[in-house]
Amino acid sequence: MKVLATYNIKGGVGKTATAVNLAHVAAAEGNRVLVWDLDPQGAATFYFRVKPKVKGGGKAIVRGSIELGDAIKATDFDNLDLVPADFSYRHLDLWLDDAKKPLARIRRALLQVSHEYDYIFLDCPPSISLTSESVFRAADALLVPTIPTTLSLRTYEQLDRFVEENPDMVRELKILGFFSMVDRHKRLHRRFMTELRTAHPEMLEGTIPNSTDIERMGVHREPIGSYGKGSRAARSYESLWSEIQTRL
Amino acid sequence: MSKVRRYEVTAAGDFASVLAVLTDHVGLQLVSLEEVERSWVDTAAGTLAQTDTTLEFRTPKGEGTASLTWAADGRVLVHDSCVANSVPVQVGDLPESAAFARLARLIDGESLVLGPTVNSQIAVLACLDDEDKTTARFVFDRSETLEGIALPMLLEIIPLRGYDSEAEAIEKLVRRSVALSESATPMKALVKNAIGTRANSSGLSTEMSAASAWHVVLQQLTKSITDSFSGVLSGNDPEDLHAFRVAVRRIRTLLQDGGDIIDPESRDRFRHEYRWLGDITTPTRDADVHLLEFPELVASLPQAQRDDLAPFNEVLIRHRNECQSSMVTELRSIRRAEFGSAWLEFLSDEDAWTGCGELSDEPVLRVVIRRVEKAHRELVKNGGKITKKSPAISLHELRKEGKRLRYLLECFGPLFDQEALATILRPLRDLQDVLGEFQDTEVQGEALFELAGELATTDDRPALVAIGGVVEQLGVRGSTARNEFSKVFGRFDDRKVQRAMNRLEVTKSSGKKKR
Ligand SMILES: Nc1ncnc2c1ncn2[C@@H]1O[C@H](COP(=O)(O)OP(=O)(O)OP(=O)(O)O)[C@@H](O)[C@H]1O
Ligand SMILES: [Mg+2]
Repeated sequence: MKVLATYNIKGGVGKTATAVNLAHVAAAEGNRVLVWDLDPQGAATFYFRVKPKVKGGGKAIVRGSIELGDAIKATDFDNLDLVPADFSYRHLDLWLDDAKKPLARIRRALLQVSHEYDYIFLDCPPSISLTSESVFRAADALLVPTIPTTLSLRTYEQLDRFVEENPDMVRELKILGFFSMVDRHKRLHRRFMTELRTAHPEMLEGTIPNSTDIERMGVHREPIGSYGKGSRAARSYESLWSEIQTRL
Repeated sequence: MSKVRRYEVTAAGDFASVLAVLTDHVGLQLVSLEEVERSWVDTAAGTLAQTDTTLEFRTPKGEGTASLTWAADGRVLVHDSCVANSVPVQVGDLPESAAFARLARLIDGESLVLGPTVNSQIAVLACLDDEDKTTARFVFDRSETLEGIALPMLLEIIPLRGYDSEAEAIEKLVRRSVALSESATPMKALVKNAIGTRANSSGLSTEMSAASAWHVVLQQLTKSITDSFSGVLSGNDPEDLHAFRVAVRRIRTLLQDGGDIIDPESRDRFRHEYRWLGDITTPTRDADVHLLEFPELVASLPQAQRDDLAPFNEVLIRHRNECQSSMVTELRSIRRAEFGSAWLEFLSDEDAWTGCGELSDEPVLRVVIRRVEKAHRELVKNGGKITKKSPAISLHELRKEGKRLRYLLECFGPLFDQEALATILRPLRDLQDVLGEFQDTEVQGEALFELAGELATTDDRPALVAIGGVVEQLGVRGSTARNEFSKVFGRFDDRKVQRAMNRLEVTKSSGKKKR
């Protein structure tokens, strides 16, 4: 089992689109895949048409009083399951705060189902908080979608520094940054990409274009690989996925 | 996870009329409607049936490409199109994907054989909730055999995980509105019953004489040997040598257990020659295993030591190539050629397969079951004697006895009651895995140590230290396996297994009731 978390301190950069679409690509290749929607807003849950509700409440999972497995819903795609968001996740930080060993909680919940899955994607809300620290502990890699702008450069480096300064907390966490919502026609985008790649040669080659096909996920309520199979945007997730696998 | 519900549709009627009734009550969406010729594929020993999975090869009537679906009780594990458009025979014919790689590991170098074939109309419908989310799938399946015998129309309701209560509600509705009778028989089993044991692709049947059955299985094993032979010579894919050796080992078991069935003089001669054939391939197989497992062993060392081992990998490759080339010399020798053609001649000599032993013309099932029982008794007896203090050699001997039982069960698998067979094979394979791990880690540890001698002459101390680390790890793995022995043996030496031994003989009803 490998745990991959889509993460960025900034909001609206394509974290959820990445988690949903990469999970779909991985499952279509025959891997057993789980997506855990940790964002109380439940965007990933919405894309899979699942109702944003966990029986017994999300708290019970984090507390360990119900098994993660009991909250799992199959999506409409073979080998692809979901732990839906629960509105009460907005209190996740609070529960983690008063749980014993808060940072180990998410990892422990995942271990209950680890034998059933090859890849588990965690879709995180934007922030640095107790939840994200618990996610850093649980994950083998962070997938960091980055829009090529100055601000993104700063947040990317902020994350890098955070991880560097907390080596005991993050164990062997890999940071896999890549460009998201890229507009090839914008000179600024091209310039920032070159700059950021020079500063951070470890960034992934693959990029996700800014594309109305991807935006339409909200209308179709499906991963792009389902309604837009073969499109440029769909293929961009496929090549990003094969590159990520070589880095794990 | 809740189970698939399966019904026979008893109302006279086609899809359309059944659907018309259902759409009044449930939100339905057609997912697919296919007319296909489909076949079930499995190994001769029924490896997939034993894991409760099925592998289906479908060719569409008219346009379209063939596809392969591996499923567990109606749930698709993986589905992919088949470029070759023909039934996969070797593991290499499977589409490349993570899930098919899992399937390949399960099949473990065996060939696939074609099972029953039917013409089918299959409709898959999704039941949707108010968010248009699928909560369950309906599968309508109308099939007829190639001779045109129509089979009952099946309706399967496959609940999606996490939607059990929805599936129950749907089921109630369906049962109220369509004439159904509950059925525990999946289509594959229906087909098998309709076509009869005659069509059993293994070529075995319970009515055969012991000698004919031995003959059939030996011919199949010989085919595996010839199929893999050129691959063994080329040495490109370790899987070929592995398959080759498994077939040799099985032939040896059949010869060993062929007393009073096979002509004694030939039996002695070929036992001797097959033993030789097995032995000359062992060093190459061991070297393959070092190479295959080395990266994983190395990965657990600290980074600095990993780099120290780089030169040793070259030693391993060189050693493997040396083994391969001496093996090829032996395989191309006159001895091997003469033995090979004598064997083929023996197989094609019809007279050699009747009345050459006291049991030759006895019904095979009785003979095989007696031998299986004997092998089982011995394994249980000798396994029971093993204690924490027993020397390693007694575990190695036990492994051989386990192999004998396993190969007898697998080679004649199609003759037995499948459920009883699976009940015995599952814990037996686990036991063999543990014994194998114990022996392999020991053999590998010793071999690596010896090969490390080559480095000693170059005075590469860091590499030697790192190999010491690897060998130590092998030792840890070996003693873990050893500690697990009593647990896995306990699961094999168990009342359930003993009862299954008594149920191996197929009874009339066992084809029908599955659970
Ligand atoms: N590559 C893209 N091209 C165009 N639009 C995109 C792309 N990726 C995502 N979007 C759209 O941008 C919006 C934000 O994307 P998404 O929800 O994936 O980001 P996020 O980082 O998960 O946001 P949040 O921080 O709110 O969780 C969505 O409306 C989505 O449809
Ligand atoms: Mg999001």
